[in-house]
Amino acid sequence: MEQVRTAHGAAGVGVRLLGRAVRLVVGVLLGTVTAVVDLTYLLWSGLILVPVWPHPGARRSAIREIQAGARHLAEVERWRLAAFLNSVNSADYTGRRAVEYLCLRWAVGLLGGAVLLIFAYGAVAGLVWLAEWVAGQSGPLLFAGQLVLGLIGLFLVAQGLLGMAALDRRLGRLFFGPSDRELLERRISELAVSRAGIVEAVDAERRRIERDLHDGLQQRLVALGMLLGRARRSADPERAGELLRQAHEESRSALDDLREVAWRVYPTALDNLGLDEALARVADRAGMPVTVHYRLVEQPPARVRTAAYFVVSEAVTNAAKHARAGRVVVDVAPGQNAVVVAIDDDGIGGADPAGSGLAGLARRVAALDGTFRVDSPVGGPTTIVAEFPCG
Amino acid sequence: MRVILAEDSTLLREGLVRLLVDEGHEVVAAVGDAVALVAAVEAEPPDVVVADVRMPPTHTDEGLRGALEIRRRWPDVGVLVLSQYVEKRYAVELLGGRTDGVGYLLKDRVVEVGEFLDALSRVGSGGTAFDPEVVRQLLARTSHTDSLGRLTERERTVLDQMAQGQTNATIAGHLHVSQSAVEKHVNAIFDKLGLSQTTGYSRRVLAVLRYLGS
Repeated sequence: MEQVRTAHGAAGVGVRLLGRAVRLVVGVLLGTVTAVVDLTYLLWSGLILVPVWPHPGARRSAIREIQAGARHLAEVERWRLAAFLNSVNSADYTGRRAVEYLCLRWAVGLLGGAVLLIFAYGAVAGLVWLAEWVAGQSGPLLFAGQLVLGLIGLFLVAQGLLGMAALDRRLGRLFFGPSDRELLERRISELAVSRAGIVEAVDAERRRIERDLHDGLQQRLVALGMLLGRARRSADPERAGELLRQAHEESRSALDDLREVAWRVYPTALDNLGLDEALARVADRAGMPVTVHYRLVEQPPARVRTAAYFVVSEAVTNAAKHARAGRVVVDVAPGQNAVVVAIDDDGIGGADPAGSGLAGLARRVAALDGTFRVDSPVGGPTTIVAEFPCG
Repeated sequence: MRVILAEDSTLLREGLVRLLVDEGHEVVAAVGDAVALVAAVEAEPPDVVVADVRMPPTHTDEGLRGALEIRRRWPDVGVLVLSQYVEKRYAVELLGGRTDGVGYLLKDRVVEVGEFLDALSRVGSGGTAFDPEVVRQLLARTSHTDSLGRLTERERTVLDQMAQGQTNATIAGHLHVSQSAVEKHVNAIFDKLGLSQTTGYSRRVLAVLRYLGS
């Protein structure tokens, strides 16, 4: 059994290697053809530019045209690199960069053509030597010498082809890939967006706390005060006693509300007992069956802990409030240098990722360079996955 | 007095209803949002309406909008607005040129049951009731003006009470002085603020608040 698999494996590797070699040769060959086209295009562009150079307007439009054409040729090169040389490059480059690329690219292409020519020459020479040996015109010693020479030549040509392909790929990466500066700029704009996002998320959080305090706790305290006020105004001692008893009840409810609000602002369990305990409490208070699979060995960093907690807490609340879910499964698992939090419910789905709650969570996750995904088709079920890097 | 209540918190609404009934008022309707409030007033105009500023659906100023509409359409109905915070703009909007039968109290003031009931009956009988906190803030904001700076400590206290909508008799009671002493202070205040002699205490409050709000 094991041997059969090995044999199959060896054959498979052989076929794959041959396939790759063929693709490499075709890629370099095509590259030679395109190099000729590129060079012709560049020479023609140069000729076009000479007469219009003194006229800025005409020059500008000619350059624009040339850059547009260069982009088409560059697109062909990108296709060739992707199809034959396993090198995928971004389509995000300027016309100017395309021209610059072609200026170097034609030389690499022609060099590849030269390697292929040497290969062709060697192949023909090999055939001639073989024919001479078959015809008895060369002795075994001479043929053995030719065989060794041919193999050395083949090795060198193979190295040359690999080298040309590598050069081709490098050139593509150099010109089509974003520059360091562009990468930095992208990173800066990402950071600016996530910073704005976190400010918004914090503001939304504050609004929620304000609402919690005013619509919950304040109402209770006013009601409590009213009961005490009525008790004090009451002339009937029995009535006053009853009102005081109600006031006592009310003060307990107010304390419960206060604890609830404080917990929602920040659960202290996160710091004292860890994420698993805090999530267990979320499950306890959800008012429906929530299963938590907590599979982390170590506590994640505080920022990840907090964000993960709020993602789970909000998702469970949503499932209970909006999705009419019967059960929720929370899975907290280690990823590659990351913590992956997934929340599944069997509710009616149709959650709007742009809604204030989910958008707030997405911003919160983005601020930690994490990823956030909501999959909630109408009719359900809903899956929310957040991944937090812990580098 | 016949009262319509608009308050979205059931807890508080029920509490207010009990309180008013205990005190012998008739609660015509108790509703949870501004639309229902206007509808209730339309069905059976009461003597006075008590409305929370923040109500559903947006929890911003629906209650105030409703109160303004009631003041416009049923000028005889007194309107007492309960607000979470002192919002000067709301108070000024509510006055809107007329100070009869209008009040603006902080919600917490309900806890001072006696004060709340006083304010309610003042508004219900065509008077005014402004929260001491509103008045304090308005005074603080304008205390830099010269004319106000010329007031004595006592006159300031009297002005503060006036601005809340208290009558001279009540002020005299609060400050433990004779009513004629209060009248003397009031005249001195009008002189110093450059206000002409007016009749009726609601117009007096209007003048004071206008001055303070300017």
